[in-house]
Amino acid sequence: MAGHSDSSSSEKKSSEAMNDVPTFSTENMQNNMKVIYYSRTFMSIIGGVIAGILGFTGFMGFIFYFLVMAITSIGLIAKAKFSVHLYFDSWNRIILDGFMGGLMSFVLFWTFAYDIVHIF
Amino acid sequence: MAEDLVLDTAIRDWVLIPLSVVMVLIGILRYFVSKLMRSFQVPDPKIVKEGQVIVRARNLRGAANFIPPKSFRSRRVYFSNEENGLLFVPKGQAQNAQAQMFSDPNMAMDMMKKNLSMIIPQTLTFAWVNFFFSGFVAAKIPFPLTQRFRSMLQNGIDLSTVDVSYVSSRSWYFLNLFGLRGLFSLILGEENAMDDTQQMMQMGGFGFDPSKSLTAEKDGLDIVQHEWALPKFEHRAEAVLKKLVS
Repeated sequence: MAGHSDSSSSEKKSSEAMNDVPTFSTENMQNNMKVIYYSRTFMSIIGGVIAGILGFTGFMGFIFYFLVMAITSIGLIAKAKFSVHLYFDSWNRIILDGFMGGLMSFVLFWTFAYDIVHIF
Repeated sequence: MAEDLVLDTAIRDWVLIPLSVVMVLIGILRYFVSKLMRSFQVPDPKIVKEGQVIVRARNLRGAANFIPPKSFRSRRVYFSNEENGLLFVPKGQAQNAQAQMFSDPNMAMDMMKKNLSMIIPQTLTFAWVNFFFSGFVAAKIPFPLTQRFRSMLQNGIDLSTVDVSYVSSRSWYFLNLFGLRGLFSLILGEENAMDDTQQMMQMGGFGFDPSKSLTAEKDGLDIVQHEWALPKFEHRAEAVLKKLVS
């Protein structure tokens, strides 16, 4: 890809040909997937602690979780400079991937922070 | 009836935090132990050869569009030829591989070791939690659950009027079990922490696979429709160069 110089981006360009035959470099794709996974896990942990400290209960907490996930997605898309197709093969990946895994960590840290701050 | 129970600070200090800390430490310990115990088994050359053949066939399938049609077809025939194609396994041999797999004591021992190293810490910790931390309310989960969860979550608490949100330490253990997976993947790098048994089976069952995966690869290779992408690349190179020059 002549003309582009990515100095220190953590996401690598994974699709080369923009023609009828899209080709993907698997190694870069996997690296990008890992980046998404780490970001989501980290954000869900932080989000859980925040939700617990602020005292969200019940439904509000889950809405907060979706909010945090949406912020993460937007952050990832912004990092990919809004041209998602260069880095991933479909929209769903960057938006939905790692959703459920993050949920458990979120609930754990939410319960933890909520208990420590409010109940005890 | 959501009156707030006031729980003793001592519970927080001596139950919640130690339990979480212990689980994190056990996870780290297990990670290192599994790294140390990875016994180096001498790979059987025949199995390795078959594995490499599968990798080659897969590469061929993936990159089929970059080579001219004729060479792709000749490669495909080389692989799936009836007489001496590499991927063609006559029915008799297929059964053999599986039987050999099962009767090989080394492999079985390895798989058992891996499975056990996963199950034993969980069982031990669960027994420890049950023994020491039962019979009182440990935590309050911030969201309401239905009454059906009561028996599962409020295991040691024998009052039926307590809100279902107040749970016993057993459920705190389970919550930790699932929630710390994400944390482990961050600390220990690359999802190493909660290797599910599936992954273990996959690694242990490498000898199982040859006959089945060979036929699977052969079928996959037969299905591929070849569409040569290179002519378009010339146009693309031209476009890129034009952009550069102008």
